[in-house]
Amino acid sequence: MSSFDIDVAIVGSGPSGIAAATALSQAGFKDIVVYEREADIGGIPRHTHHPSFGLRVFKRPMSGPKFIAALVRRCPDVRFETSTTITALRPGGVLELANATGLQTIRARHIILATGARETPRHGRLVPGLRPQGVITTGALQQFIYSAKLRPFERPVIVGTELVSFSALWTLRHAGIKPVAMIETGPRISAYRPATLLAKAMGVPIHYNTEITDISGIETLTQITTLTRGNKTAAIPCDGLIFSGCFTGENTIAAASHLCLNPSNRIPLVDQNWITSDSAVSVIGNATHPADMGDQCYLEGIKAGAYVAQLLAGNIAMDKAFAEIRHGDGIKMTTPSILRSDNFGDPLFDLSFHVTAPFKGTVCISHGEQVIYEEPRNCLPTRRITLRNIPFQAGHPIDLSLIGKSDVIA
Amino acid sequence: MPEARWDVIVIGGGVVGCAVTRRFALAGAKTLLLERGRDILSGASKANSAILHTGFDAPPGSLEVACMQAGYKEYLDIHARLNLPMLKTAALVVAWTEEQLAQLDGIVSKAHENGVDDARQISRKDLLSREDGLSKTALGAVEVPREYVIDPWSAPLAYLKQAVRAGAGYQFDTEIKSGAFDGEYWHLDTGQQRFSGRLVINCTGTNGDNIEHICRKPGFEIRPRKGQFLVYDKSASALINSIILPVPTATTKGVVLTKTIFGNLLLGPTAEEQQDRNVATVEREMLEGLIATGTEMLPGLAGHSVTATYAGLRPATQFKDYQISAEPGKNWIGVNGIRSTGLTAALGIAAFVEKLCSETYSDIADFRPAPIPDWPVMPVLAEHGKRAYQQGDGTEIVCHCERVTRGEIEAALDESDVPARSLGGLRRRTRVMMGRCNGFYCSARVAELTQGRISPPLAGHKKDQT
Ligand SMILES: Cc1cc2nc3c(=O)[nH]c(=O)nc-3n(C[C@H](O)[C@H](O)[C@H](O)COP(=O)(O)OP(=O)(O)OC[C@H]3O[C@@H](n4cnc5c(N)ncnc54)[C@H](O)[C@@H]3O)c2cc1C
Ligand SMILES: Cc1cc2nc3c(=O)[nH]c(=O)nc-3n(C[C@H](O)[C@H](O)[C@H](O)COP(=O)(O)OP(=O)(O)OC[C@H]3O[C@@H](n4cnc5c(N)ncnc54)[C@H](O)[C@@H]3O)c2cc1C
Repeated sequence: MSSFDIDVAIVGSGPSGIAAATALSQAGFKDIVVYEREADIGGIPRHTHHPSFGLRVFKRPMSGPKFIAALVRRCPDVRFETSTTITALRPGGVLELANATGLQTIRARHIILATGARETPRHGRLVPGLRPQGVITTGALQQFIYSAKLRPFERPVIVGTELVSFSALWTLRHAGIKPVAMIETGPRISAYRPATLLAKAMGVPIHYNTEITDISGIETLTQITTLTRGNKTAAIPCDGLIFSGCFTGENTIAAASHLCLNPSNRIPLVDQNWITSDSAVSVIGNATHPADMGDQCYLEGIKAGAYVAQLLAGNIAMDKAFAEIRHGDGIKMTTPSILRSDNFGDPLFDLSFHVTAPFKGTVCISHGEQVIYEEPRNCLPTRRITLRNIPFQAGHPIDLSLIGKSDVIA
Repeated sequence: MPEARWDVIVIGGGVVGCAVTRRFALAGAKTLLLERGRDILSGASKANSAILHTGFDAPPGSLEVACMQAGYKEYLDIHARLNLPMLKTAALVVAWTEEQLAQLDGIVSKAHENGVDDARQISRKDLLSREDGLSKTALGAVEVPREYVIDPWSAPLAYLKQAVRAGAGYQFDTEIKSGAFDGEYWHLDTGQQRFSGRLVINCTGTNGDNIEHICRKPGFEIRPRKGQFLVYDKSASALINSIILPVPTATTKGVVLTKTIFGNLLLGPTAEEQQDRNVATVEREMLEGLIATGTEMLPGLAGHSVTATYAGLRPATQFKDYQISAEPGKNWIGVNGIRSTGLTAALGIAAFVEKLCSETYSDIADFRPAPIPDWPVMPVLAEHGKRAYQQGDGTEIVCHCERVTRGEIEAALDESDVPARSLGGLRRRTRVMMGRCNGFYCSARVAELTQGRISPPLAGHKKDQT
């Protein structure tokens, strides 16, 4: 008799969590539960209403809620427990959960954390000034407009020019709120250039090379002060400020647990099959690589879930030990961050990473003196770069480095 | 309607005003607290380090050290009855240079002079074994075992709640601009509204000298001194065990590293003189400077994220000591210059002011018989306490970072003593939106739950309003 309550506990019902549940369910596992702390399932797409999902999974653009509904139709047997927060992860497959009746622990043969990513808000960015109301993030904006149907402001400024910044623009347009400006610290937008067309169409100026030097307003926001190219100061009256992008993984549970973390960013280490330092725990989705598109996270979740199915079926013998993927300057994070060999799967793996500054040159992977992979690349900080089919050498750390010019405009 | 007449009117709802109101209400005085902000704690008292000090390094023989030690003692006596939390962390005054190391002796003797007998010097080895996260460049320390961490917001709220239950009144959004004394009563004026009371107690913090002018020429001048802080993610709080205090020297001010009662790690404050009485901004260079200093002291801080930044203004004057005095014949007590120890000293200050009142105005001090005190039980917000979500209050968690339930939010809005009527008030009463995501996950939901209940609202400005 097993002392496990369930086979697999999945934490988070965003695209990656739903995907892992789907793969496990299709592999015949019945005893899987997806825990979701919100009242509704779906993660970020739940409140992202423009058609920026579905292209890769369903070959057509869909709104976030439609995307989630379509994903759920693929896994009719999966049990979701909403308004249930996982508050701690412990060794031995133990989760502590909180719901309206209090705390409880459950034990699962395997745990998959799919807790997603959010934006870095104002304080985490050390933005100067006062602390008035009206300073929010895109994620909050979407929930104000689409979920609560409330208008937080009428004349906001958007900080950032990532894809999600234009998502904020889109959301504002839907609500009939006209932003005053977008501001960007760099010399060009972080998203692909055509995104500027939306700003143009809405008549919203983008101020480049610009940073915020002050936030004013004791109770509610009255204006921001900006500095352009280090010498031109301007005051922009506004009643809202949206900090967009600059994603960070929601790894609260993982970081407080026994899992090994990358000390520089406190993201849990995961191998090429999304298994952490504890072989009974996976971490998938944007928690470890903030932030890729929902479709990518879904496809990743399917693979990760399928791997766990094999693992639980006893088809995989996995090494306990793992080797590090080290990286040099200019690289923010890699996924996977460790490599582990098993008797299953591919002797080749895919490696994704993000750069800290624009880079043009050669991306190089070496193993000791030996170069095992080389490719010329143009990289921008907000975009995921994936290197495919890298030969895998069990038990040896590998090094990822950039050879060429950093800080050049790709 | 006839104008209400109060025995005592307290101007200013900082921690000092709240404690004074409590003291007089419990003594049987019909007491009114007036605060210009939307809630109590609209000044210095909302932004401090939240340390309950022993007074080990205060000027010996000062009024400050007397009030701190009386306040400290009373807090220890009453906190459990009010369900106010306390973290018995102890403090370590750490020397990082030879110059500072040479000063530790003096710190110990001053502590002993102040009656803090258990303060003692510890070796580098002992220090590093107690605090293995500290940089190995630390040279030694003074241990002060009874320095503790408390909840800077629930404490004053509890004081005012207890006062309200003893019959005190309060009014927010009420800024006193002028006043006149008719020989028996003060008539204080906001421009729209008048309040009459026999005794006025001025507890207006950085506005103290301006308000003194209503009665007399102040013998001091307020010189606000700003302190900026960083709150690190809860993940960082395990990096230290005790409060890490600096050795004050002529050349460096040094900063404090402390756990907060809410399970975060606090780094700060700076000390910057400024003119403005009300505006406390954070500045990137200062924050980056704090991070650099903090990471030097505690290398493990690198990699942990910052949850919040804030600044507070110390109501300092040109003098070192508190400026508390009664004006004979004018029924006025000024409680001023409570610059950097007021959270600790508040209850002691209140007792001192009550004594000053009975010594100076024996006619007024003859209050009605005191009511039997009723002890409000504050909700558990401390990280180490049993929180509502752990008990299961029948509602869902709304704020995921701080694990605040809908039940807690509704209780803070609905309670009858001193309900939250602003976002700041709600945040301080529940911790909602105080966490690492700054409201990414929950602010829209909080906007829904607080619609029509708080001012200014979180959302729903009409289009025609600009
Ligand atoms: C503001 C914003 C806008 C975005 N817009 C787009 C877009 O337009 N198109 C696109 O393709 N991608 C977008 N993204 C990227 C987005 O991250 C992905 O689309 C996708 O949602 C990631 O899926 P996930 O499963 O990793 O995590 P998420 O979708 O973030 O889901 C994580 C889930 O885990 C739950 N959870 C977290 N911790 C716990 C816990 N302790 N207990 C229980 N439940 C928990 C959360 O409540 C959440 O429901 C956006 C991201 C953000 C932040
Ligand atoms: C950076 C910093 C760190 C600190 N750390 C600690 C610590 O660790 N431990 C400790 O014990 N102390 C600490 N302190 C000190 C403590 O915070 C102060 O001593 C205390 O808050 C002062 O309280 P107060 O009530 O006198 O002033 P305030 O809190 O400023 O209250 C004055 C109130 O009066 C109101 N007011 C002003 N004018 C009017 C008017 N005309 N009409 C009506 N209302 C008015 C204001 O709105 C305000 O709410 C620190 C202070 C700072 C700034």
